[in-house]
Amino acid sequence: MHIKVKERSSNLDDEGFDFKKLILSKINRKLTLLFIIVSLIAPILGIYYFYIITSSTLSKALLNDLDVLFQTAAIAIIVLIAVDAGIIGYLVSRSITKPIKQLYMAAKEVEKGNYDIRVNINTNDEIAELGNALNRTTAALGKMQNEKREIDRAKTEFLSITSHELRTPMTPMKAQLQMLEEGYFGKLNKDQKESLSIIIRNADRLDKIVVDFLEISRIEAARLKFEFTRIDLRTTLKDTVKFMEGFAKEKNIELILKSDKLPIIEADPDRISQVLRNLISNAIKFSNDTSKIEIYAKAKDDHILFSVKDYGSGMTNDDQIRVFEPFYQVDNSLRRKYGGTGLGLTICRGIVEAQKGKIWVDSQLGAGSTFYFTVPLVPVRKIEPIKVLFSQRSIIENKIQDEFKAVLGPLGVGEFNELKNQNSLNKDDLFGYIDSLTKNFILDNDYGLYFKNKIGEIFGEKRGSINNEKDILIQNNRKKVIG
Amino acid sequence: MKTVLVVDDDEDIRESVGMILKINGYRVITAVDADDCLDKLSLETPDLILLDIMMPGRPVSDIIKQVTNIKIVFMSIVRENDAKNKGLCDQSNVVDFLQKPFDLNDLVARVEMLLNEDH
Repeated sequence: MHIKVKERSSNLDDEGFDFKKLILSKINRKLTLLFIIVSLIAPILGIYYFYIITSSTLSKALLNDLDVLFQTAAIAIIVLIAVDAGIIGYLVSRSITKPIKQLYMAAKEVEKGNYDIRVNINTNDEIAELGNALNRTTAALGKMQNEKREIDRAKTEFLSITSHELRTPMTPMKAQLQMLEEGYFGKLNKDQKESLSIIIRNADRLDKIVVDFLEISRIEAARLKFEFTRIDLRTTLKDTVKFMEGFAKEKNIELILKSDKLPIIEADPDRISQVLRNLISNAIKFSNDTSKIEIYAKAKDDHILFSVKDYGSGMTNDDQIRVFEPFYQVDNSLRRKYGGTGLGLTICRGIVEAQKGKIWVDSQLGAGSTFYFTVPLVPVRKIEPIKVLFSQRSIIENKIQDEFKAVLGPLGVGEFNELKNQNSLNKDDLFGYIDSLTKNFILDNDYGLYFKNKIGEIFGEKRGSINNEKDILIQNNRKKVIG
Repeated sequence: MKTVLVVDDDEDIRESVGMILKINGYRVITAVDADDCLDKLSLETPDLILLDIMMPGRPVSDIIKQVTNIKIVFMSIVRENDAKNKGLCDQSNVVDFLQKPFDLNDLVARVEMLLNEDH
């Protein structure tokens, strides 16, 4: 398995890696010094004895003449041997560190996700065995990565083809239904009309699901289209709200639009309107009659923040995490009552995240929900695929676990699992837990705030909204954590 | 009586669209693919072509290249932008785009409008 190693020395600088350290690593220095010291002991002793012997046998006058010569020769011998020993020491140590350097660079590449890397170590020792083991591991990882890509591609393609195939029969079906409904084939009685309207309604629903499926397949395959234009998004907001007022009227709900002055940015107004329509129609769905919905927009740092606030039924903490998952329904009876495909918020997430924005919800059961999303001031033209079909909950749980490990060390995993078992992996419970840590002096206040900030970010809060400027403190305070 | 050529590989769509147009007083001929369409066009000249843009066999662009004097309306499951991106909508006789599944009243209204424009 000796495939030639691909050394990427240029990458070393990117990683902030100290190349000097490798040329003269600690091992190099130690071994070189050892060689010099060991190789100098014998000549120094030799010269010393030679000097004693000669000084006792030769006459004083001759000795005085030879003294300078002796000294010069002795120094020359010692220096030459020291240099020799240094060079040999360095070369010997190099032969040891070179394969280590290879292994190190290969491990760095694997860390970055480059599984094509192979090392070529022919030293026929344990390090060579280690190299071969690494080669086998990266080969296995590479194979797994390829399989994963293949599955991903097949899934997206299947979704896309199926959606098109499912849509095709909808056209003649809906056409015939419409002709029936409009009496082209004779007048219908009340029951027939009722029956037909149920069929039509569900055909429409089916079609909407298929359309949403197509949109999801575009999001997952990075084929979502954006058409950017320089625009004052307040116009988009006004138009969207006006459009949605028709639906709000059915429940006598008032839509209130508040917007600060927004900078003119390059954005796709249709996509932003699509997200807003989805959020507003959700808000209408979960609001009581004669309630109100507030739509708000403001420019903040490098983005514009939109929010849609309702005073409806609100959500549990678990719902808040999972609400962006496909087909997740907070209340199934509502879907039956108001329709909806269960994919609306998933698509919103896909659209927002394709533009490197964030989308999240803040909610209290019984008090209402506020959905937030951000649109960066600079549009993203190179769209990347976004995995919206994965469970949002497991993604969030993994992030929380990582944060626990980072802040609390090995202790964090146990704490995390305990909180998970107590069903407490939601923002409020986690904040409560962090408060108890600071109260019991397990974390100091600054570090507690830092922890809260990190957890808040996972739940979609803007970085630093809980407390700012504390990030720097983490390095200093890390040691204060009692483990 | 105005004649409309409906080109779609899906029989049920041809029949449904044909039905509603006949009821609304048009003469309807149909074709199942691009070859069939060009055959039909060699026999007679309709006033309007309703053309599906995704059909097996010869590409639709072949039809568009040869037909420059008859108004064409696209019918497609893909979105108008996708068709535009493929350069199918550049020709001046390509006058409209019907997104499938379409509303029949919308279809009839558009056909009516396009055929009355000349007078």
